[in-house]
Amino acid sequence: MELTKGYRLANGVQVRKESFGLLFYDYKGPRLYFVPSKDLLTDSFFNGEKSVKDITGSLAASGEKSRKKIQERILKLLDIIEAKGLIYGQSIC
Amino acid sequence: MANQYVETGLCAPVNITWEVTYNCNLSCIHCLSDSGPKRKGELTTRECLRVIDELSAMKVFQLNIGGGEPFMRPDFLDLMDYAHKKGMVTCISTNGTLIDRQIAKRLDHPLVYIQVSLDGAAPESNDPIRGKGSFDKVLAALDCLRERNIEVSINTVLTKLSILELDKMLDLAASYGSKCRISRFRPSGRGKESWSRLNVSKDEMLEFSGWLNTHPGISTGDSFFSVSGKERRTLGLNMCGACKLTCCISPEGGIYPCAFLQEDDFRAGDFREDSFLGLWINSPVFNSFRQLEIKSCESCYRFDLCHGGCPAIAYHTQRKLGIPDPGCLENCIKVKPLKETA
Repeated sequence: MELTKGYRLANGVQVRKESFGLLFYDYKGPRLYFVPSKDLLTDSFFNGEKSVKDITGSLAASGEKSRKKIQERILKLLDIIEAKGLIYGQSIC
Repeated sequence: MANQYVETGLCAPVNITWEVTYNCNLSCIHCLSDSGPKRKGELTTRECLRVIDELSAMKVFQLNIGGGEPFMRPDFLDLMDYAHKKGMVTCISTNGTLIDRQIAKRLDHPLVYIQVSLDGAAPESNDPIRGKGSFDKVLAALDCLRERNIEVSINTVLTKLSILELDKMLDLAASYGSKCRISRFRPSGRGKESWSRLNVSKDEMLEFSGWLNTHPGISTGDSFFSVSGKERRTLGLNMCGACKLTCCISPEGGIYPCAFLQEDDFRAGDFREDSFLGLWINSPVFNSFRQLEIKSCESCYRFDLCHGGCPAIAYHTQRKLGIPDPGCLENCIKVKPLKETA
């Protein structure tokens, strides 16, 4: 997991934002995955154009310690989602 | 199923059961929607495209298409193409009798699932339920679909007749490389008339439950959570998904909790007149359904597995909601000791 990677949905996977976080739908099955990410991630994050560093950049005002904590939380969530085969990371540049 | 997230209320259905027409070339004796001749007032092509637009904008992931026979609509394949262009997955339930090579070619798309109905493993057992000659036509359709390697589920409604042939149905499905799906018989549509004759007894339901638990490869949609054992706990729903994960649109655009509750009492609104998003969030019918609690089931050891079962069967047999599914495994146990471990 890297802060500078972008993430895209795996083939056949869709996602939408819900009040609890993200709801993934995998065409294979079909299966649902509920990710309690609250407002840490939006569905548009998975178009692969922005990295975790990008989306947490604006949090600088809340302090370095707080920003790192949020980044760690997001990376952990992405790790879990990627392990389920729902997303894949790729270099943005 | 992560119930706690579902119960907080989803911003849109995960899937919609959309009965696109009442028109059907068969006249199955257990048809849930009493389909047959085309009826006046069905949604036009333009209106159907608007349905797809609206559901796609809400990020509804999947359309479960039924009827009637969907292929009786001349615009049906064009509507499906439109949904696929929007990225929506379609699961088409068909009687299979109209599928030929040309149609199979159009169905060869990664976002399509096909369910073909058969209620027996031979003409002698299938045709009395689904109509003379239907069995052979379905096999011809399965050949066309197999030629293109299209994934198919053969769907069988559990009745007093089909329960005798479940293993043969499995063999038949395997011979076509198809999956097997068993649906629960519900007393709606023409099923009301044939209910007492075709519905399985409690002993038979118990027997079926045991069979189902030893066949994890069988899919059941949301049909049998009221009787399935802990072995199937991770295989699907453990509660009724109506108004929480799904709802139903009728051929005229009526919006209901599920396909088996297309009754005036449960009409939430009309696609032609109402905003679907507004109804999904604010409809009093949907909200009361979401708050439905089957209190008498809450102390049952099986509550986590079924949450009271199917409200539609309770409604159709008892004319009440908020009561236990009359076909639940606990009721069966009262008749006969449970063989499986709870």
